[in-house]
Amino acid sequence: MKKEIIALLLAGGVGSRLSILARLRAKPAIPFGGIYRIIDFTMSNIANSNIDVVGVLTQYKPLSLMEHIDNGRPWDLFGKTRLVEILPPKTGEEVSDWYKGTSDAVYQNLGFIDDFSPDMTIILSGDHIYKMDYNELKSFHKKKDADVTISLIRVPMEQAHHFGIASLNKNGRIVEWEEKPRKPKSNLASMGIYIFNTKVLKSTLLESAKKGGIDFAKDVIPLLLNKKMRVFGYEFTGYWRDVGTIDAYWNCNMDLLRPESGLKIEEWNIRTNLFVRGEIGAKIPAYISKSAQVENSLISPGCIIEGRVKNSIISPGVIIEKGAKVYDSIIFHNVAIGKGAQLIKTIVDKNVKIGKGSTIGKGNLIPNKVLGLNLSTGITVIGKGAIIPEKMTIGKNCIISPGIDLSKKGLNKIESGSVF
Amino acid sequence: MSKIIGMILAGGRVDELLTLTEKRPKAAVPVFGIYRFIDFVLSNMMHSKIENVGVLSQFRPYSLMKHIGTGEHWDFIGRKRGIRILPPYKGLRESDWYKGTADAVYQNLSFIDEFNPEYVLIAAADHIYHLNYQRVFDFHKEKKADVTVCFANPEKKYPWFGYGIIEKNGRLVDYQEKPEKPISDWVSMTVYIFRRDLLIDLLKKNALAGSHEFGRDIIAHLPGQYAVYGYKFYDYWSYARTIDMYYEANMELLKGKIKIDKWDICTNLVEGCALKDRVPARIEGRVINSYVSPGCIIKGKVINSILSPEVVIEKGAEVIDSIVFHNTIIKNGARLKRVICDKNCVIGEGVEIGFFGAHIPSKEFKELLNKGITILGKQTIVNPGVKIGANTVIYSEKIITENLIEPGSVIK
Repeated sequence: MKKEIIALLLAGGVGSRLSILARLRAKPAIPFGGIYRIIDFTMSNIANSNIDVVGVLTQYKPLSLMEHIDNGRPWDLFGKTRLVEILPPKTGEEVSDWYKGTSDAVYQNLGFIDDFSPDMTIILSGDHIYKMDYNELKSFHKKKDADVTISLIRVPMEQAHHFGIASLNKNGRIVEWEEKPRKPKSNLASMGIYIFNTKVLKSTLLESAKKGGIDFAKDVIPLLLNKKMRVFGYEFTGYWRDVGTIDAYWNCNMDLLRPESGLKIEEWNIRTNLFVRGEIGAKIPAYISKSAQVENSLISPGCIIEGRVKNSIISPGVIIEKGAKVYDSIIFHNVAIGKGAQLIKTIVDKNVKIGKGSTIGKGNLIPNKVLGLNLSTGITVIGKGAIIPEKMTIGKNCIISPGIDLSKKGLNKIESGSVF
Repeated sequence: MSKIIGMILAGGRVDELLTLTEKRPKAAVPVFGIYRFIDFVLSNMMHSKIENVGVLSQFRPYSLMKHIGTGEHWDFIGRKRGIRILPPYKGLRESDWYKGTADAVYQNLSFIDEFNPEYVLIAAADHIYHLNYQRVFDFHKEKKADVTVCFANPEKKYPWFGYGIIEKNGRLVDYQEKPEKPISDWVSMTVYIFRRDLLIDLLKKNALAGSHEFGRDIIAHLPGQYAVYGYKFYDYWSYARTIDMYYEANMELLKGKIKIDKWDICTNLVEGCALKDRVPARIEGRVINSYVSPGCIIKGKVINSILSPEVVIEKGAEVIDSIVFHNTIIKNGARLKRVICDKNCVIGEGVEIGFFGAHIPSKEFKELLNKGITILGKQTIVNPGVKIGANTVIYSEKIITENLIEPGSVIK
């Protein structure tokens, strides 16, 4: 089956900076915006750009991701000529065939690409929140007669050292490339989106692999530039966020509640899988009771809100009892928040029970003891299935591990910055 | 439960629901935000593990066919599971439109034969309740019944119900359809289990008669002749035959009388071939005692109301004691009270609907519309500033430009 372009989506990431949210699932599978998962944004961009063959490269904790992608039908990638295929690492002739890096993962799946003899292959990453029409990138790529086009976005100079940074000439050609430079020469950061002419992709990956190259940004792009290939930079000017840290993840969710942020979810046509186990029974519309007060929040179906909710994102099936207050928080599926409980700037993973009268996210602003500056702005994270007993107090910048039952620990206070 | 198959009576068009059934069969009327009436019986069938179901449909079946689709949303896909829409078909006789509920089943006896069941469960598609039919089936077998009829005991006894007198041992001794005075508290839910061979006999006999309704022409003649039992159902049941009853059922949900969060009702989330994954409801305004579906954007006030997906309530707008269907926009400063507003309406800025004339009954539907409820059909556009009195009916796709619509008006 011949295709003009196919997509490979790198979804293997460990997401260690997202701490316990990513402990039980791959980063792209982390819930976002109430009903979505992070990968939905890239999957929907693919579908909305009419790209109809996708390989999803998974490695780390792929189960929830595989279940979510399913047969691709939610994104209309299901049919005789339309498909999404999960490409996990496989045992081959070599001893270990775990994916060693982004380019290695693609290198190990060149066979999948060959099945479709595409002129172009677009490499995407599954952990960014943005809306993009890849056709515009493709047109640019063709117009420039490029071998490779990298999508770039301007970031604040002080953040540039986190990214791959490109310098362009007048014509848009990349003349210099630095991966996570200490002293960036520009603030044009790579979005981890590459269009390759497939021939160039194959030959470069073969060559890079021989030299031990495993990563697009560190190994493949420098090699291309060395060989004076036509590598161009496409400047994207829309909303785009890397949600690789707790801070970034929380902020990006909050952007859903700030129309001026540019994250206009209602206009983006983001699709998700509504058929996942147990979800097929459509949840009833959210019920907002007489005693409830909801301000500037997103409330998913199946929720029963009797308390106060402000600037928060509430996933399906959440119960917030009378007198409870939920401020500036992100609550995942099927969480129960008891009477009079207070949550401030808290991310609560699925199936957590929060006892009556407990307080979370109040206290001194002490950075997390383990994550340090990566968790220092006051966000507390409660892991999946944890049980918080009545009248418990948990401070700021805390991490409560998944599955833990604090009612069995005989304490009533957890200081700010703790990891439990 | 392969010994039993389900037949759903979904054919009817009920004029008493006015514009709600103007373009759709009653079974497909939206209810409680995201559901349609037929979802209740389909979900009951699914939870009762009845695996093969035929849906008898006649009036404008398209929206129903689209809704049921392959049946996957109720888990009716599989080697041994299935659901089939059974519209009327051209046979040997000149006209084979269904002449009544019994005739509809009669014309589809071959569908029943295909599965060779011992029992047939027949249920109407337009009732609201949550019942595991397995219990009725167990009762039926325990009583060694020929026929079991399910009865509920609703608060209000309407004259058009079918009433049954059930003896202590469960035996149904009398059944009357639409009696002048209720003969008991127990009202037929239009849920029957028949022994298949008996059903076939009864239907064949009925086919020769002049009238072909299950309640009036079959069930009413059974007591005394056959072992007919009445299964008493003690939970919530309602039947929206009129606009008042439809409105009432919705308000009962808001009063907490219907525990639909425990019912696990399934519906079709795939509409118009595109999966509808709607953004969670965005609430910036004030919402009190209301159900709000995904995709809604609320900047105004919503009190005691039920909103279907993608309803937009702009700033300063107020929706009170109302039911608003999909994709309707209530513009800045518009106010609605006791309004049932169908899909895709645009209510202009400053419009007021339902705030005066609640005591003036509808000119054309005096009996049906006299409690201050106003109904707007699909795609009604109400120009800015228009005032519409209560008990008004506006049929679909009208543009209302007059400054004032008197209470009780009918706009066709």
